[in-house]
Amino acid sequence: MRATELIRLALSRLGSSRLRAALTMLGVIIGVASVVSLVAVGQGATSGITKQLQGLGTNLLTVNPGASTNGFTRGAAGSAGTLTVEDAAALGALNGVAAVEPEISTSQLVVAGSQNTTTTILGTTGGYTTVRNFSIWQGSTLNGIAVDAGLRVAVLGATTADDLGLTARSIGSTITIGGQPFQVVGILQAKGSTGPVSQDDQILVPYTTVQDKFVPGDKVRSVGISVASADQIDLVKAEIATLLESRHGIAAGGTDDFTIADQAQLLTTVSGVSDLLTLLLAGIASISLVVGGIGIMNIMLVSVRERTREIGIRKAIGARGRDILAQFLVEALVLSVLGGIFGIVLGIAVSYLIGTLAGWGFVFNPITPLVAVLFSLAVGVVFGVWPARQAARLDPIVALRYE
Amino acid sequence: MSEPLIQLRDVSRIYDLGRVQVAALQGVDLAVQQGEFLAIVGPSGSGKSTLMNIVGCLDRPTAGSYVLDGTDVAELDDDGLARLRSRTIGFVFQSYNLLPRTSALENVATPLLYQGVSRKDRLARARAALERLGLGDRVNHIPTELSGGQQQRVAIARALVTEPALLLADEPTGNLDSTSGADVMAILRELNGAGRTIVMITHDNQVASAAGRQVHVLDGRLVA
Repeated sequence: MRATELIRLALSRLGSSRLRAALTMLGVIIGVASVVSLVAVGQGATSGITKQLQGLGTNLLTVNPGASTNGFTRGAAGSAGTLTVEDAAALGALNGVAAVEPEISTSQLVVAGSQNTTTTILGTTGGYTTVRNFSIWQGSTLNGIAVDAGLRVAVLGATTADDLGLTARSIGSTITIGGQPFQVVGILQAKGSTGPVSQDDQILVPYTTVQDKFVPGDKVRSVGISVASADQIDLVKAEIATLLESRHGIAAGGTDDFTIADQAQLLTTVSGVSDLLTLLLAGIASISLVVGGIGIMNIMLVSVRERTREIGIRKAIGARGRDILAQFLVEALVLSVLGGIFGIVLGIAVSYLIGTLAGWGFVFNPITPLVAVLFSLAVGVVFGVWPARQAARLDPIVALRYE
Repeated sequence: MSEPLIQLRDVSRIYDLGRVQVAALQGVDLAVQQGEFLAIVGPSGSGKSTLMNIVGCLDRPTAGSYVLDGTDVAELDDDGLARLRSRTIGFVFQSYNLLPRTSALENVATPLLYQGVSRKDRLARARAALERLGLGDRVNHIPTELSGGQQQRVAIARALVTEPALLLADEPTGNLDSTSGADVMAILRELNGAGRTIVMITHDNQVASAAGRQVHVLDGRLVA
């Protein structure tokens, strides 16, 4: 029998018991929809996290001082204080480095008019906004003159500005930081928080000013470096290591007193983890697809029992075993594939909704529906074959006499 | 004289029920010529249904040989039997056995589906067969919308649509009132008159008397 005849037969049969067909399909619909939407949610989350990480800075390398060692006790990373502003300046001269910024931080009480807050004061240079991927909302960033001269100027994070009741018109006004008057020269564009520490709650001032007023000495907390292009990252990392080793007098093979954190590496790790989670979600969702398949098998077995007499009649008037097999198999396939198609539509709708609500947008991957349809086709075959074989093997004499 | 359409030689059918063996048919010899109208008559339990299953190629004899239309049934597998049924035999059953929830037209067209006839030809031939049996205005009715007599006429149309060499009727009037039953018998006689070979199974001597020849079955054997 031709495929079109079989499909016509299956559709007319399913059409004559619509409620049952719909309920049977529901299992597959839910299964496919959950696979499609969970994979889309997983991929959406991956791309959302990736985007946020990229927001921290493109091609970003962070150099931190190593851990201090006091006797046999090793301190926390960054506690050694081996990195200096001179190191930062030297790193800025390396090939492939687009921008560099030293960071010295302190926490101070900030007062603007009747408002006050305690926040992070970050001593750095104008390179900070480039390296950390910030843009200026109002005013300007720290300029070279201010940094060289150690002027008391401040660029405020969006949250800090808000806390202090400062607006676009506050550029040029004076605030006090740790009792010292500072002029507000700029306000940063809000970035949104990533993790517990908001990047929007801080004040940028020239590092020279911080050294002068709050933290004496030339030690820096860290140095942020923006690499000109992604394919130079490994090269620049090696250059940084070589330069700092020679500046700090560390022999080849000795223990470095600094660490280099690589944004790209972090990105790879995080997206790897999140891909794994996506796979896990899809795996769990596919269990419901199997359950849907069992639903089809169940209803097909009931159907074979109910239609025993029909099978007998068909055999008596010339149907071969394989005709009956094909008829029941195609019925199961039509159920599973129709369920699969409805499931994809539902799944896409759900993932669109979740993506929109979660704010990472809608990620449509054409592979997922394709895989889902093939999977539901496989479900139809696997769970349809057995009932169909039962039908095909019926003895026509017994089947005809069946009440 | 030409080769008979049906030739049973020393046919037995023994059911193996594990501990006991039941012989439903024993040593049956039967020949039916082309164009004959034969009634196989017997009370229930006589073995006439078993005989009808074997003649209808729904079952194989455990011993003896059966040649239908030049084909030795013993040599065929299940698919071969199905093909022989499809090509050679039209069935009419006591309980009509129409496909439920399926229109008269689709019911009559179904045997052609298994012969690989195109849908267009199937429907045209099915319509013609129904018209020949006076059901031209009932083609789209489903079985439950038809009277018993009409259902049996649909079944006869279905049996004839493939132009089979043999029409096999199993108690065709058993579920019908006397008027419808007489109608059906008139149709069968008319078909036989037009040259169709018919084998009919019945327990009713009066129905059997319409046939050209009668054989009686008792306890699995043919009696004169």
